[in-house]
Amino acid sequence: MDYLKTKSTTTVLGDIMKQTPLESKIMAKMQPGVITYGGFLGTDRRDFIQIIADDEKTLNKLGKTPEEIADRLEYFQQQSFDAFESNTVVDGIYEVETEVVRGYLPCPFMHQGIYRKSYTTVTNTRSGKSFTYSALNIHLIRAHHFFEGKKSHFRLEPDELVNELFQK
Amino acid sequence: MLQRIIDDIALMSAIGVILAFIIVLAQRWLSNYGEVILNINNKKDITVKGGNSLLATLADNQIFIPSACGGRGTCGACKCKVFEGGGPLLPTERPLLSKEEQARGMRLSCQVKVKSDIKIEIPESIFNIRRFHSIIEEIIDYTYDIKGITFRLQQGETIDFKAGQYVQLETEPYGKVKQKVMRAYSISSKPELNDRIQLIIRLVPEGICSTWVHRILKVGDKVNFTGPYGDFYLRDTNADILFVAGGSGKAPIKSILEHLQEVGTKRKMTYFFGARTTKDLYLTEEFRAFEKVFEQFEYVPVLSHALPEENWSGKTGFVMPYFKDAIRDPQNTEAYLCGSPGMVNAVTKSLIEYGLSEDKIYYDSFG
Repeated sequence: MDYLKTKSTTTVLGDIMKQTPLESKIMAKMQPGVITYGGFLGTDRRDFIQIIADDEKTLNKLGKTPEEIADRLEYFQQQSFDAFESNTVVDGIYEVETEVVRGYLPCPFMHQGIYRKSYTTVTNTRSGKSFTYSALNIHLIRAHHFFEGKKSHFRLEPDELVNELFQK
Repeated sequence: MLQRIIDDIALMSAIGVILAFIIVLAQRWLSNYGEVILNINNKKDITVKGGNSLLATLADNQIFIPSACGGRGTCGACKCKVFEGGGPLLPTERPLLSKEEQARGMRLSCQVKVKSDIKIEIPESIFNIRRFHSIIEEIIDYTYDIKGITFRLQQGETIDFKAGQYVQLETEPYGKVKQKVMRAYSISSKPELNDRIQLIIRLVPEGICSTWVHRILKVGDKVNFTGPYGDFYLRDTNADILFVAGGSGKAPIKSILEHLQEVGTKRKMTYFFGARTTKDLYLTEEFRAFEKVFEQFEYVPVLSHALPEENWSGKTGFVMPYFKDAIRDPQNTEAYLCGSPGMVNAVTKSLIEYGLSEDKIYYDSFG
């Protein structure tokens, strides 16, 4: 089980002074210019533990788990890969396409492994709402329940994902 | 009472200073591995200072093993064979090495610390890799997100590469980015022009290097890079050629065609350039011009999402259905592919169905 999922997030919420050395290292990896240009926290003043806890609460209220969200995002991504990354319609209402560029990204939680710089865009054709996410986003959500900080480039709002991407 | 507190603080401080001094001394003594012998390919012994990673030690001696992550142990690109002296395989290496590679003694050179005499094996081609200093001579906007940048080498320096190979650009700290990173880009200019190289660089969302190139770099800036790397290059045969590459994947194909223009060729060649819309087309006139240079060359742009208002009269959809007309003898045809793994896999599968030998399909899958 992953680092954060074994930990009670409520015991350390928002208390930066109580950050362990590992948490400090993770925060450092999430800063702008370390792994990505803008970092993973955006303009969010919360630390990543608080962000995770708040997003978990949101998902709890909506009756979905981060794993279900990750599965859904991966499903769209795979459908797009099956269509050679070209624009394809999934489940009748979603337009999906993926773009892969050169290079890989590591996980800021220092998991081993690297994630291709692939960017999948899913558009709900009923609402017109679009979401773009990377292969790393899927890993961060599944393994760490991390949807990134507010206003970060690849922040995904859990409630929007639930409302828009699970329609039949 | 106050004096007692002051005395205690002074005592604690003194103990702290002594302990810190002991730690510094111990670190210096324990991490001093002295000079060790680095044997390469059973041919060459280099005396090096121990204590650094194998990757860094080799780089200090002007031997550059490719590394996409700059030695952070995340990309798995810096593999090399260690016969002796590498210490046990580390947990950080296992996920990036297959069982077969582990059995063969492959290691991640960024994770192996040089502490004692060490014997390694690296491909001979790595000795040709050097670090170059350059000045930006020209920046061209090819599309809304693709630039062509020419790097002129420091006076007197030349680079020896094969058309199709790549270099690793080293960024400088800028804005919020406090550390250097290295990123791989294919050379798009011809090898014959060896006092400069051109790279075609696409702006990647949140990309540290591509943002630096697109937003910060300007003509006259100094930039370092290492290279040449890679085994994606033109084979010297008389076989027909199919090129398939989209986006910035056009770079190595441009290099290959410019090289062939220099040396001359009668080979039959077709280049399928896959793009989404006309907005993503670039260097079209230059590639059309190759049709006049070569006896048998055709440039075929194929748009997957041409918009009605674009009035596109060329080919549309996927590139694969058009291969049939371009292949006259599958057994005497080579293919050069550059693009995403999805594209490379799909095209490879299709070419094999058309009868091409898998060992004649060469690719750079944006690794």
